[in-house]
Amino acid sequence: MSAPSSEAAAVPVDCSPSSALYGDIVEFLYREAELLDAYRFEDWLALFADDIRYVMPVRTTQFRAKGSGFHDVAFLDENLVSLRTRVERLQTEFAWAETPPSRTRHYVSNILAEPGATPNEFAVRSNFLITRTRADHGHQMFTGWREDVLRRDDAGGLKIAQRRILVDETVITGTNLSILF
Amino acid sequence: MASTPGGPQTEESPNGFSLLSNGETLETIVRPKEGLISRRIFADPEVYQMEIERIFGRGWFFLGHESEIPNPGDLVSRFCGVDPAILIRDDDGVVRAFLNSCRHRGMRVCRTDRENVRFLRCPYHGWSYRNNGDLVTVGAENHYGAGELEKDRLGLIPVAGLGIYRGLIFATWDEHAPALEEWLGDMRWYLDIIFGRTGEIEIVGVPQIWEVDCAWKFATDNFTDNFHVFWTHQSLVPLGLLPNFPDFAAHGHMVTAGNGHILHFVQGAPNDETFMGLGLEKPLWQHFPKHLNSGQLDIAMRHAYSAGTVWPNFHWLQLTSTGDTASKPVGILNLRLELPISPTRTRMYSWFAIDKAASAAYRKASYENYVRTFGPGGIFDQDDMENWEDCTAAVKGPAAKRYTLHHKMGINRKQASDWPGPGVSYPDSYGEMTQRAWYDQWLRTMTTPLNGTNKQVPA
Repeated sequence: MSAPSSEAAAVPVDCSPSSALYGDIVEFLYREAELLDAYRFEDWLALFADDIRYVMPVRTTQFRAKGSGFHDVAFLDENLVSLRTRVERLQTEFAWAETPPSRTRHYVSNILAEPGATPNEFAVRSNFLITRTRADHGHQMFTGWREDVLRRDDAGGLKIAQRRILVDETVITGTNLSILF
Repeated sequence: MASTPGGPQTEESPNGFSLLSNGETLETIVRPKEGLISRRIFADPEVYQMEIERIFGRGWFFLGHESEIPNPGDLVSRFCGVDPAILIRDDDGVVRAFLNSCRHRGMRVCRTDRENVRFLRCPYHGWSYRNNGDLVTVGAENHYGAGELEKDRLGLIPVAGLGIYRGLIFATWDEHAPALEEWLGDMRWYLDIIFGRTGEIEIVGVPQIWEVDCAWKFATDNFTDNFHVFWTHQSLVPLGLLPNFPDFAAHGHMVTAGNGHILHFVQGAPNDETFMGLGLEKPLWQHFPKHLNSGQLDIAMRHAYSAGTVWPNFHWLQLTSTGDTASKPVGILNLRLELPISPTRTRMYSWFAIDKAASAAYRKASYENYVRTFGPGGIFDQDDMENWEDCTAAVKGPAAKRYTLHHKMGINRKQASDWPGPGVSYPDSYGEMTQRAWYDQWLRTMTTPLNGTNKQVPA
C-alpha cells in the first residue's frame, strides 16, 4: 500500500487500554474533572487547543431506525473565545446562576481511545455522570457521553481539540447549563 | 412598609367563582391597576388548579411555526395549553392539531418528538389514524358487533380552533374562542414587524427544551421586564457585553396591545448602524419597505431590541447582542414558551429563528450568538432562571402569601403622543405597564366563568 508520507501510516499509534498512551489519556480526563469540581476554571481553559469546537447538541426522541436524535441546533456551541468568556463571567461576582457556586462532581468512565485523523490526535470516547447540588436544592444529574479529540501538543502534553457532549436527556431537567462539561 | 392588598375584602363574585379557600377573592388580592399582585397566585396549588382550567383549558396557544412542518405528513409533538398535542400537516397540506391521545383507551398515539407519517398507530390496541385524524383501522376489528364501533366518529380529537398568523400556528380547545385574528387584534401590527419584516422567517432545527423549578408566571413576567437586564445580567458588564450604565435599555417604548398582549421596542447605541434595523444584517433592510407600512418601517429601523408576549405564555425576543468578547453584536430572533408542569415547575421552550432571506454568514453569526446567550446554556438566560427559582422558593409559605409583590413602576406615566403604532404606548421602556396589563388579563380570565370548557363533551 502506498501510504502518504505520514508517520501515522508507518507506525500505528497504540492507545489500547494496556498502552502507556491510554494511561496518559485517562489521567488527563481525570485531572480535567478535578479542575472543574475544584472551580479551577482558568486551569481548565488551558487544556483546550486554540481551534477547539465544543458542542452539546440538542437531542429529540425518535425511533431507533432514525438514528440517535441529535440535531445541528445545540445547547452549547463554543470556541475558545466563548469558553473564555464563560470562565471570565464566572469570575465576576454577578454570575448569579453560579454565585454562590454549584457543587459539582464530574464522574468520567468507560474511556476508550482510538488513533485519530493525524498521528498526534486520538479519538477518545467517555461516559459522564455529573451531579450538581446548589444552595439547599437536592441533586441534579447530567448524563451522557463525550466524543473528544485529544491532541499531543509540542511540549508533549495533551490538549482537547474537539469535544462533543452527547446528553441522554431530550428535556434538560437540571434548571440550566451554568456548569461546565 | 410592606404593602398588603388592604381595603374591604367583600367583593366576592356573585357565584363565588373567584373565592379562594382562605375566604379572599382573586379580585381583592390581585389589583393590577394599583400594581399590587399577591404572592399567593404564583406557587399556590389552589390557584394553579384554577389556572389550569380557566387559562390553559381555553384561549389560544402557540404550538409551532409552519416552517417546522413544511411537508405533508410532517409532525411535531407539542402541547396546546397543557394538553399533549400533535401538530401535523396532512396529505392535502392542511395544518391540523389533535389531542395526542387515542380515542380508545387514551394512550399517547405519537410518542416521538417529530415524524413524517401517513398514519399514526396506537401501540396499545392498534387503532390507526390517517394524518388528517380519521380513524382507519382498529385491532381485532372483526370482534366488534354491528353499531359497536362508530369509526367515522372516532377520529383523533381535534382542537376546537386552529389559526396561523405570519407562520405562527396557534390553537384552542375553546369552541367559543374568538377567531385568532380578532383575538390578536392590534398585536398583529407588531407581529408583522417581527415575523414579516423581510417576508418570512423560519425556525432553525428543533427547540431547546428544559425544566426549571419555578412558577410559570415568574418566567412569563420576566419577558417584558427591561430594567432587570442591567442588574440580573450584570456579570456581562465587566466583560463589555453590556453597556456600563443602568439606563442603557430604557430608550424605547412599551405598548399594551389589548387582551393582555404586550411588547417593547428599545433603541441601542445612537448613530451606530449595528443597532439599527433590529440588528439585522444591512442587506435585509432592503426588504422592509415591501412588507412594512411607514409606521412599522420607522419602528423597525429605529430599534435594536424588542420583546413581546402573546397572552398568556408565548414570547419573542429580538435582540442585538453578542455571546463572546470577540464578536460584534448581531440580531437574533428567539421564540419562547412556558409550559406549566406543576405549581413550582415549568418547562421552557426556546426556538431560534432567522429571516429566510438572510445570508449564510449572518445566519451563522446570529445562531452562534443565540446559543451562547439564550437557552439553558446561554450566558444571559441562565441567571434569569436563578431569579425565577428563588422567587418561587420564597413565595410558597403561608406568611409570604399574605403579601403583594410590587408592580408600580410608571403607574402615573403619561401615554406617548408620537408612537406610530396601535395600542396604548408609553415612553421609557423601564416600567411595569406591560406586566400590569398582563395581570389585568389574568384577572379577567380567572374571573370569567367557564363556558363549558370544563364539561363533558357528548359521546
